[in-house]
Amino acid sequence: MDFEPQYTPEQEEFRQEVKAWMKDNIPSGIVHPADPIDLTEEQYQKRREFGRRLGEKGWLWSTAETKYGGGGLDVDHAIVLEEEAESAGLTIPPFYDSGGRLGGASIVVWGTQEQKEYFLPPIFKGLVRTWQLLSEPEAGSDLANVKSTAVKDGDDYIINGQKVFVGSSLGCDYMWTLTVTDTEAKRHENLGWFMIPSDLPGITVQPMDLLISGGESGAGSGVKNTVFFDNVRVPSFNLIGGHNQGWKVATTHLELEHGTGGRISRNVVVDKLFEYCRENNRRDEPITKDPDAREKLVDVYIEQEIVRLLQLRNYWMRHSGVTTTYEGPQASYLRKTLGLKMSRHILDILGPAALTFDPELGASEGHMEAHSRAGIIAIHPGGTTDIQKVIMSRRIGIGRDVREKAGALA
Amino acid sequence: MDLSLTPEQEMLKTAVRRFVQQEYPKETLLQIASPTEPTPEGPWQQLTQTGWLGILIPTQYGGEGGSFTDAGVLFEELGRGPVPGPHISSAVLAALTILEGGTEDQKKEWLPRMATGEVRMVAAITEADHGWQEGDVRLTAKVNGDGFSLNGKKAYVYDGESATHLLCAARSEESNDVGLVIIPADSSGIGTRILPGFAWNLSEIAIENVSADSTQVLGGKFAGGWDALERAEAKTIPVLCAYQVGGSQAIYELSVDYSRTRHQFGTPIGRFQRVQDQVINLLNALDAARWTAYEALWKLDIGRDAADSVHLAKAVGSEGYYEACNYAHEVHAGVGSMTEYGLTLHTTASRTLYHYLGDPKFHRRRLADALGL
Repeated sequence: MDFEPQYTPEQEEFRQEVKAWMKDNIPSGIVHPADPIDLTEEQYQKRREFGRRLGEKGWLWSTAETKYGGGGLDVDHAIVLEEEAESAGLTIPPFYDSGGRLGGASIVVWGTQEQKEYFLPPIFKGLVRTWQLLSEPEAGSDLANVKSTAVKDGDDYIINGQKVFVGSSLGCDYMWTLTVTDTEAKRHENLGWFMIPSDLPGITVQPMDLLISGGESGAGSGVKNTVFFDNVRVPSFNLIGGHNQGWKVATTHLELEHGTGGRISRNVVVDKLFEYCRENNRRDEPITKDPDAREKLVDVYIEQEIVRLLQLRNYWMRHSGVTTTYEGPQASYLRKTLGLKMSRHILDILGPAALTFDPELGASEGHMEAHSRAGIIAIHPGGTTDIQKVIMSRRIGIGRDVREKAGALA
Repeated sequence: MDLSLTPEQEMLKTAVRRFVQQEYPKETLLQIASPTEPTPEGPWQQLTQTGWLGILIPTQYGGEGGSFTDAGVLFEELGRGPVPGPHISSAVLAALTILEGGTEDQKKEWLPRMATGEVRMVAAITEADHGWQEGDVRLTAKVNGDGFSLNGKKAYVYDGESATHLLCAARSEESNDVGLVIIPADSSGIGTRILPGFAWNLSEIAIENVSADSTQVLGGKFAGGWDALERAEAKTIPVLCAYQVGGSQAIYELSVDYSRTRHQFGTPIGRFQRVQDQVINLLNALDAARWTAYEALWKLDIGRDAADSVHLAKAVGSEGYYEACNYAHEVHAGVGSMTEYGLTLHTTASRTLYHYLGDPKFHRRRLADALGL
């Protein structure tokens, strides 16, 4: 076994190239606000610009095929890119995007040749930002129960309905969504999956007022919106996977969203917590010397290590072609539940300093306040913890002789 | 990065699994666990002939010179039984302690016979207050003529009753150093008493005026003995964790099967989400323990400082096996409490191993130190 990438001389050479390039190309003033809601238009545009530069090099979606605008690199190079971005305090992509990781990955699996050639290059080159539109007022955990409709009209579909918990602040270029294409057909055989330009007439975006937007740490979007479709006319070309085949397409991004892709990066909040406790005193001693705080910090450390190792396992499985079953939803379940436990530990360690981003009293420039809010909220996006357990049960085959298979990945 | 086993490790895994199924079926394990029935000698003899006991003993001392991950694979499969010792206590902990701190003569004298199972040397460390720290050792070594005499009482000695030799932690009255003394378990003055009840192969060992000389002291002197033991413990713990993982894996499989075959209210019980929760919690405990254990084994194999991973693995692994058993009992309800079903073999083991080589609280404190908090 080997728990870390072994770098070949060629990779180290690549790392030097990436380092030098990043030094020249990361726009100044790119910072992670504690709560992504504080991302300004100017900062966002800098990130988009950096995304386009990465896209030009093929480093934005480095493992995607070059013929679709990706970098055509293998996982060894992707790791180096992720590591170098992380050491620069960034993620790739450097902004919230549901295009490359989820939407694009689904088009790769289910799109026609023509659709792939049309939709993928702008995504993989960073020319467009994409949102996912899945939940509806009546369809949360039961996603297949969506009520919005797409009715065939000549060469087009006419879409009507309402989507919630969508996207981010500062807009997008494309939206992908799941709607009913056949009101008579059976569940799971009645849906269509569409890739839609966001500027079509009839689309209205309205921000939601939420405690925090949730989402994965580092990839939080800041804002979530309600999106209304009012007789939006969409060409049939934008339907991916075929008429009434939308659920099939959804299984791909749901699988990825449920954690099957895995991660190799560290938990930034934990690093910041440890740093804060080392550098700040309580009763004239570093917080780390307080026996109660030590105990809780170790709890936090153990919990993040468990999540890190299971995400590492998933990353390895995904990139070495090992068939996954329950592992994706398991990592998602543990990341979320342990994240919630962690927010309790942070409250124990820091007290009310964990509850304010006041510049004088708030701990760690507001990062702890944001995590305190996110703990309970982040357990629901991308499938609630209960839904993750339902999927695990089916995949394990608890009480069933036939085990459900994982969604198709490229 | 590669989290798969090598082809050789896969072969070892298959071979050990087959061995455990053949030599240690549930009936045999129950017979060994029974306080009234005689322990069959056959399976242990078979185990000693496999050569596996020497997996971590270097080839120059008659062992296999395997990697820590190899040992993890072996002991994970033995843990599925759970096949009782003395294997980890002897061929891993005691053997590694001799490797860490023994003289060349001591290595030559003991290690080859430990690899074959002829010598079953068990480390007798803890006393009545069950601590694993140097300060907890009270048993004394008092100078007596050319040698010295040992006096005190060891308690909660894992595998103590099946030892041929003891590796006994003793405090020198002269220097106050804690060292390790090798004494035959049948020396006059030694009284071993297996502890009754829910304890798993734990003994109290009274040591009264047992004489020894300096050739029996690890490394020839008391100073440095305890440090050698601690270094050996740090290498033994991930192997022990793999053994606990094997136990959790076995009862996880048992629980999934039971969720399919046991019907109540006209349906398999696994169709109930309350029951599914128990199985999922079990699997989460198992996987957390598995990957913390194997990461620690990997660090040992590549010679990296593994202190943080070792303490992490033991804290997670001991809690994991303990909790896994509880979840399995929730799935099985009354059936799980029946000795003949076999689940209680693991439940019993999980409680004793929770404490063996330090309980989770101890390792959490050590982890805080290792992290530089």
